[in-house]
Amino acid sequence: MTTQPQRRDTPDPDLDAVRAAQADRAAFGILYRRYLDRVYGYCFYLLGDHHDAEDVTERSFLAALGAIDRFRDEGASFRAWLFRIAHNELANALRSRGRRATTRLDAVAEPEGGEDPAGALDRADDARRVRHALEALSEERRQVIVLRFVDGLSAAEIGEVLGRSEGAIRVLQHRALRELATLLA
Amino acid sequence: MSQSPSTAERVDRAVGRVLAGESTGAATAAAGLAATDRGIVEVAALLRSTLPAPPVGPRFEARLGARLSGALPTRDAVGWALRHPGRLIVTGAVGSAVGVGVTAFAVWRNARRVPSPAHRLLHR
Repeated sequence: MTTQPQRRDTPDPDLDAVRAAQADRAAFGILYRRYLDRVYGYCFYLLGDHHDAEDVTERSFLAALGAIDRFRDEGASFRAWLFRIAHNELANALRSRGRRATTRLDAVAEPEGGEDPAGALDRADDARRVRHALEALSEERRQVIVLRFVDGLSAAEIGEVLGRSEGAIRVLQHRALRELATLLA
Repeated sequence: MSQSPSTAERVDRAVGRVLAGESTGAATAAAGLAATDRGIVEVAALLRSTLPAPPVGPRFEARLGARLSGALPTRDAVGWALRHPGRLIVTGAVGSAVGVGVTAFAVWRNARRVPSPAHRLLHR
């Protein structure tokens, strides 16, 4: 099911930077620095390999730079547009692999544990459990969880990235969280 | 008459509050979720605290940054040609026609030129 872009309630925070990049490609660097971590994170959590994630991230930014003139403020935010490009590049990479993404997320850095060593150990253990549970999710559910929790996209933006309605994304998120709750129990 | 939000919508609201830093109890209550759904909101809080953005390698970051700023003109030209092959052919044809025309005109003009007295003396 595909959807038309919906009109946002709030202005796109990236619009000034996008207009600057459309006038002068050198200004694309602002958007690159702003979104490199997040696009890379999305690719990494879906591919499970740093080298592949770098490759897809590179393709995504080069494609975004090549198409920046075609971006219009007509509903979808810039970041939804950018993640849509990354999603398409990711789909190509997964197709060329010829198999479902085999994600091994062990290479992700552990979250900061603060000064307390016991707390740090608990957090590291939680992080490992969560990563293993994520690996058990279907690709679509994992995409929704990563885009929401790692990249901070709203349900509406995720819908634009994945070509689904906002309602469908909410349902997917609900089911994914329920599955994770069972897996982590 | 407004419809009451679905459970999925309430969960999404609770997730938004958790991502903004609210406690699971407050987020569950504010989103209008039943206490039995609190486990889902707790998973959301766990995801928030345990899913870091993986670090980007500094060498990769620098290499891609350089590629984005350096390879631009060539990529643009190639991209334009690939997007508009018809225009590329027309541009080439017009360019060739102009070249042939200019050469023919130069030859014709040279042939019609009346030699100057000094020229006639030299080539007698």
